[in-house]
Amino acid sequence: MISTGMYGIDDMLGGGIPEGSRVLYSLDPGVDGQLFMISTLVSALEKGQSCLAIIPHTTVDAFLHDSEQLRGMAIRAEDHRIVFLDSVDRERIQRSSSSIDAAEKEWQVRIRKLCAENKVEVIFGYFDIIYEDFGFEKGLRLLSPDCCLPRSTIIIEHLNFEGDMFLESLAVRQSFDLILAIKASFRPLPHFNYFTILYTSWSTQLRRSIPFLVKNGRVVPYIPKIVVTGPPEAGKSRFVASATELGVSVDRAGPGRDATTVAMDFGWLHWQDFDITLYGTPGQPRFDPMLPVILNNAMGVVLLVDATNREQLGRARHLYKLIAKMHVPIVVAANKKDLPGPMSEEELRKGIGIGKGVPIFLISAQRKDDVRAVLESLVDSITRFVY
Amino acid sequence: MLYLSGIGSLPPGFPAIGTTSYKHSGEIIQQEMYSYKTGIPQIDQATGGFDAGTNLLILAPSLSLAEELAYILARPLPGEYAIMLSTNERASEVIDQFRVVGADKSFVGVIDAITKSSTPTITDTGRFMFVTNPTDLTGIGIKFSQMLETIFDGTFSGKETGLFPPPIRFCINSVSTLLMYRKLEVLYQFLHVMTAKLKKVEGFGIYILNSEAFDERTVSLIKQLMNIVIEIKVERSDNYFRVMGIHGINADWHKFTTSKGQVVMAL
Repeated sequence: MISTGMYGIDDMLGGGIPEGSRVLYSLDPGVDGQLFMISTLVSALEKGQSCLAIIPHTTVDAFLHDSEQLRGMAIRAEDHRIVFLDSVDRERIQRSSSSIDAAEKEWQVRIRKLCAENKVEVIFGYFDIIYEDFGFEKGLRLLSPDCCLPRSTIIIEHLNFEGDMFLESLAVRQSFDLILAIKASFRPLPHFNYFTILYTSWSTQLRRSIPFLVKNGRVVPYIPKIVVTGPPEAGKSRFVASATELGVSVDRAGPGRDATTVAMDFGWLHWQDFDITLYGTPGQPRFDPMLPVILNNAMGVVLLVDATNREQLGRARHLYKLIAKMHVPIVVAANKKDLPGPMSEEELRKGIGIGKGVPIFLISAQRKDDVRAVLESLVDSITRFVY
Repeated sequence: MLYLSGIGSLPPGFPAIGTTSYKHSGEIIQQEMYSYKTGIPQIDQATGGFDAGTNLLILAPSLSLAEELAYILARPLPGEYAIMLSTNERASEVIDQFRVVGADKSFVGVIDAITKSSTPTITDTGRFMFVTNPTDLTGIGIKFSQMLETIFDGTFSGKETGLFPPPIRFCINSVSTLLMYRKLEVLYQFLHVMTAKLKKVEGFGIYILNSEAFDERTVSLIKQLMNIVIEIKVERSDNYFRVMGIHGINADWHKFTTSKGQVVMAL
């Protein structure tokens, strides 16, 4: 297996990329996704594999500098087994070739020579300009078994102007063993990047879309905002505190009663490779004008209710209607299951008006395992969501 | 998108805001839309400035005042930002040009597609980003997104005004050079993405194309992506422009020149 250099993605792929695979990293225009290719390249080099990088859009020096800036690790010809075909080579090929066919042949000759001389195991091809010069199919022929060593792994980065249909057609035709699309969306929050594993030839896993950010030279799956809301005294602050490693709560304690949240709870956690930020809302109706502000741009919502308090079902129903309009994944957690007289799932569904599609968990917010199970379900729904 | 000017009124010197309305769930929602002043008296007086989301093509022959006009149009007014994709000049030269038209360089970002070819180890900063050459549309797109993000995050200049969404002028100088490096079909797709993004972030796009260097089909395709075209012609060393695509403004030729960052109309 070749590691993608991105731990969470390797897990999703069942350990990495099987050797001999053809991989497509498809970048939507403007999406900050160059680190996917660079991470995989660095990973292959660190493993001692011999690599060929086809970089017709840039020079070797500029590529090495950019890679170091992106990944925070220098690629050095003296330390690593890497050879290049760069923009200077492309210019020479263009100048010396009288036709497209001649240029194609010249590329093939050069690739074959470099592969044979250096026993290249992994080829990294930046395909944007190759695609323009030769078209997709012809471009792929440059990396056919005629030119590369048998069982070479081929990894291509492609700037996708054609959209999803093009990628779907590649998946249907099984042109690649792995198609990973790196995309951006303005909803639910502005400038939000995510990647989707569209197709793998070696597994039949569900398609998932994983939000990510680039941090310290790493692709970090993240969920910038999960909101925990619910009626007063349902245990929202406790839920956020149990879920997170670090957080604050803006509370106020009155005479003769426990503290209640008057602004919001806020916490962070790093879990299952995701960086997640949790926001808890106040539950009192007088704070309702704040709810749209806190709920804005949420990628998922936990509706937390007190499983023993039937009087709060009306309030829970009101909140559920509010968040259902956002069209983002929702999970309902019924807290205080360990106290006497908790409601059943059916009673809760009926009382709040929840359809079958929304999961309900009976939990104790004091138990970290229970809280994590709720988050696991919500993260699962978020990664299956179509953005 | 709702235009928020922070709490209270806009500071003095800030450009005007127009209104637009649309129907949502049967309810008429009124939005405040930003208007980009152009510095061209005829246009600003007649329209109050260009609507947010406008993409404008400057179609001009060589050795005309197209570039000067582009810098005037791209100059960020107080509270605004400018991003220049330069395929002809180094970032330092772009900043000099903006200084000539009176722009505050703290609010100017440059994507430089020139310098890196000779200085491969040049490093990006928040306001100056580099791609090796104009063929690298992947890199250009990413740098543009990164700059937009820093502007939206409020960390671009260190002197942010808090306007949201931040008004952004974006200029490509020039589309002609990009066309020398990439095929028309690819560049059309690229510009389609860029113009759409500008609309989404309620920016103002300015694109320069040499009217003499390309065939009718090329010019026509690029025009399709624009809302407004300013055409420039040169006759006996005098520059004339006309504006096409603005309701209420006729397409007559106007003699003009530029001076100290201003468009000066000649009689």
